[in-house]
Amino acid sequence: MDVDYANKLVGQSVPRTEDLALLTGTARYIDDIRMPGMIYAKVLRSTHAHAHFKLDVSRARTMPGVLGVLTGAELVGKVKPWGDLMQDLLVGDHFAFAIDKVCYEGQEIAAVVAETKYQAMDALEAIDIEYDPLPVVLEADKAILPDAPLLHPNFNYEFGEGNIFDRYRVRIGDIERAEAEADLVVRQRFSSNRQAGAALDPHGCVASYDSFSGMLTLYSSTQSLFMVRDVLADSLQLARNRVRVVAPEVGAGFGSKAQVFAHEVIASIFSLQTGRPVHLVLSRAEVFRVGTARNGQIRHVEMFFKKDGKITGYRDYVIQNSGGSSYWGNQVVHIGTNVGMLPYPVPNIHIDGDIVHTNTAPGGALRGFGIPQINWAKEQLMDIAASELGLDPAHIRDINIVRGDQCPLVTPFGQKVDTTSIDSCLAKAVEVIGWHDKRANKRPYEGVGMSLGMKYTSCRHPSFDTDLSAIRLRLETDGTVTIFSSDVNHGQGHATFLAQIVSDVLGVGFEKIVLAPPDSSNAPFGLGTYASRAAAVLGTACRMAAERLREKIVAIAAHVLEVDAGDLEAGGDRIYVKGLSNTGLYLENLAGYSVYRTHQLPPGFEPTLEATATYDTPTDREAPDGSGNFSVTYAGGCHIAHVRVDPGTGHITILDYVMVHDTGTVINPLIVEGQHQGGFLMGLGMAFGEDYVYDSEGHLLTATFAEYKAPLATDVPELHHLFEIPAPSTTIPGGQKGAGESGTGPVCAALGNAVAHATGVRFTTLPITADRMLLALREKERSGLEIFRYPDDMPDYDGPRGYEDWPKPTGGEGEMFF
Amino acid sequence: MQTITIHVNGKKVRGTIDERMLLIEFIRDVANLTGTHAGCWEARCGACAVELDGNTVKSCNVLAVQADGCSVFTVESLSQQRLKPVEHVTTQSLAGVYTPLQAIGSSAADLHPLQKAFHTCHALQCGFCTPGMLMVLKGFLAENPSPTREEVRMAIAGNICRCTGYQHIVDAAMMAAETLRAAGP
Repeated sequence: MDVDYANKLVGQSVPRTEDLALLTGTARYIDDIRMPGMIYAKVLRSTHAHAHFKLDVSRARTMPGVLGVLTGAELVGKVKPWGDLMQDLLVGDHFAFAIDKVCYEGQEIAAVVAETKYQAMDALEAIDIEYDPLPVVLEADKAILPDAPLLHPNFNYEFGEGNIFDRYRVRIGDIERAEAEADLVVRQRFSSNRQAGAALDPHGCVASYDSFSGMLTLYSSTQSLFMVRDVLADSLQLARNRVRVVAPEVGAGFGSKAQVFAHEVIASIFSLQTGRPVHLVLSRAEVFRVGTARNGQIRHVEMFFKKDGKITGYRDYVIQNSGGSSYWGNQVVHIGTNVGMLPYPVPNIHIDGDIVHTNTAPGGALRGFGIPQINWAKEQLMDIAASELGLDPAHIRDINIVRGDQCPLVTPFGQKVDTTSIDSCLAKAVEVIGWHDKRANKRPYEGVGMSLGMKYTSCRHPSFDTDLSAIRLRLETDGTVTIFSSDVNHGQGHATFLAQIVSDVLGVGFEKIVLAPPDSSNAPFGLGTYASRAAAVLGTACRMAAERLREKIVAIAAHVLEVDAGDLEAGGDRIYVKGLSNTGLYLENLAGYSVYRTHQLPPGFEPTLEATATYDTPTDREAPDGSGNFSVTYAGGCHIAHVRVDPGTGHITILDYVMVHDTGTVINPLIVEGQHQGGFLMGLGMAFGEDYVYDSEGHLLTATFAEYKAPLATDVPELHHLFEIPAPSTTIPGGQKGAGESGTGPVCAALGNAVAHATGVRFTTLPITADRMLLALREKERSGLEIFRYPDDMPDYDGPRGYEDWPKPTGGEGEMFF
Repeated sequence: MQTITIHVNGKKVRGTIDERMLLIEFIRDVANLTGTHAGCWEARCGACAVELDGNTVKSCNVLAVQADGCSVFTVESLSQQRLKPVEHVTTQSLAGVYTPLQAIGSSAADLHPLQKAFHTCHALQCGFCTPGMLMVLKGFLAENPSPTREEVRMAIAGNICRCTGYQHIVDAAMMAAETLRAAGP
């Protein structure tokens, strides 16, 4: 009987292989690692946002159980600073500790290591510190003023000065002409909030140095082994092959663990000094303060339209708050702005950006990476323009978007959109929510609002001319397969979706495939898991490696069976002659030949069955005018929210929420569904509650889950209106697109537009909290304004209320920021 | 320092501890069961939920000395660990007849209906909050075997999940409730 092995696993909701350890409590996260002789480190952190300080650690050194104390001053000249991901210039603005001045609350000042956690905590209290406070600057638009307190007066930036550490510029087409010829100009200033990843598993590490081998092993809750390894080795001036980074189970990251952190350097130094394994896991309050937060943006946006609703131009001046230090900050502006302009192929674009430091939490990567911020501004302006032109918001979008049947197309901004179904996503979402009926028959305090977004699938960062991932596969001698990868799974289901791909290509049983734990000492070099890159980029490397391995396996089978390789098929854990699927050679026999019976191999065949593949995406570097195709393909989606606002309390209820996405070819639909629902949650948190609130001295008031409003199960609506309209990528061989972040980008603007439709209150700042909503409703009634902008029209608002008060970009027109 | 005894998952565990030690630390560092997770140390995230003398509590908010003589059940009590080698690696193909739990040598009976439902519904991503979710839902379904989706959401409102958006967790709780009802008291 001939068995049909055409029934592939890619495309099926295979339940995840990683689940069993996670469900039963046997999985080991960073805080679960126990090593013989392990000692505990704790960090003394600044209680001031901006201050000089003097330190005396002599009492701490004599406390019971204390094995070491570290401060910044003693490491100067011994440990190298590391830098932001800047273009071509490493500023060296990151160090294990502040040396004599702190720039944000929570910054590392000193650390102790002791036999027990309690002894370490007691010793921290014995450190004497005297602060000499300095004036603080907390807002991005204040940080660029000439009299603003300076955070880093000793750094020289290539494209900035003062608190401006980098600039950004886009010049596409002719914006003056677009403005002169426009039938409608809409302008509004929008600001966005800081948001934490708040991965439930706190950042942390265990460092273990062996002086005889000279190997430093760092177990770390990180998204990127090699980024941590290379920076850490460089900072400690160790050879990179003597630093081994291993990721245990990682309890999520959302971007917040995609960089090296001071605590990883500190634990490593303590282990180098003591020769013992050093445990250093941060508390929740520490994670809020230093675990990085979304970069807040102020966007001064102008959009130009023709009468029929066609967009002819986009002008923007962005001031981005990247906090006290920022590894990824400037990249967020570049990539978020470029990709965030989609799905509109705007012909004339003029953008200036000032990327600044303030005395607030470090700005990092976070789900969406700049796209939620621009989407918040641009998609609300689309509604404002629609209203001015008397057009339906769905229509004005529909006539401007890139359409599936135009693909592949290159936009004026340089994006190469290989495929998309964004037009169908819009139509479907409009139909499901009953858009036209809800617009025509509007009920009091109810409204519908939409937003469209497209999202990169991995990215070639302007500062980082690479976009690669790699897989090594080994067919073991019992016919099982091991996958090696350095791209850390932290919830995305790597062990499952990679095995689905391998199973399909090699014809090996899914249950026989295992993903090795991520370990830099034996995994091929890859960039890590971030930027929605796992399924598309790592998945492509996996498919390539599996195809290479298959070719080798088939070559042995062809030799042994004395048939042509082209007549052979893989399936059912064997290689067989086409049409004879119940015959052939089992993979375990073929693997056995490759290792134990090498005389059976074809002449010249190099023994063992391993294959490695690296996939670097065919993407562009950023051009001097800001254009370029940074992403290999673009996922996208349309979100529509139906909300009701309670005029008595300001509480907003989401009555219905429709998400229609294009994620290309989906490997595992259930996993992708989970990604969209989780992406929505992060967007919802940003829209309605999550925020970094500071007092006037720069103390973070939202550093616990009591004050920081992470959405709870009762805050999230039922998400059963979730649809996929796949437009498989033609650039990615398997057709996949990134799933991780397309659920986040459109949420804030969809909700903002729905709230505006429901109440006439147009929020221009985030988050939209119930108390702000209530204040705005009261003030709207009092002022009699038909459209009331919050906070722009509030009597106590001290920011620029109109275009004439907007600040001007600080960069000279002649300069190119390259 | 003080010596206390807590019955953890039916086993007597004795420890001489710093008075500051929390119940979660006793469970993780003295009983050596690390399935109970600390996400916030301030009784907000719920990852540390355990059953203490029949009540569901956040174990980071209880001193270990307060639990002296008490009985604690953790996520590790929900199902027996499989301590035998995998049985199903054969040379015969399983592709196409894939049933995941059989395929890895375990039987469905090994998992608690809640765990099984979480697996089926993809109610976990990074898995860090999962032990707390499971323990809270176990207690909740014992009291309310036929909940509505809204009641499930209320029940887990003390447990933060940053990955899933809660939708699949609610799906899993509803599925488990049905299984548990069918199994009878």
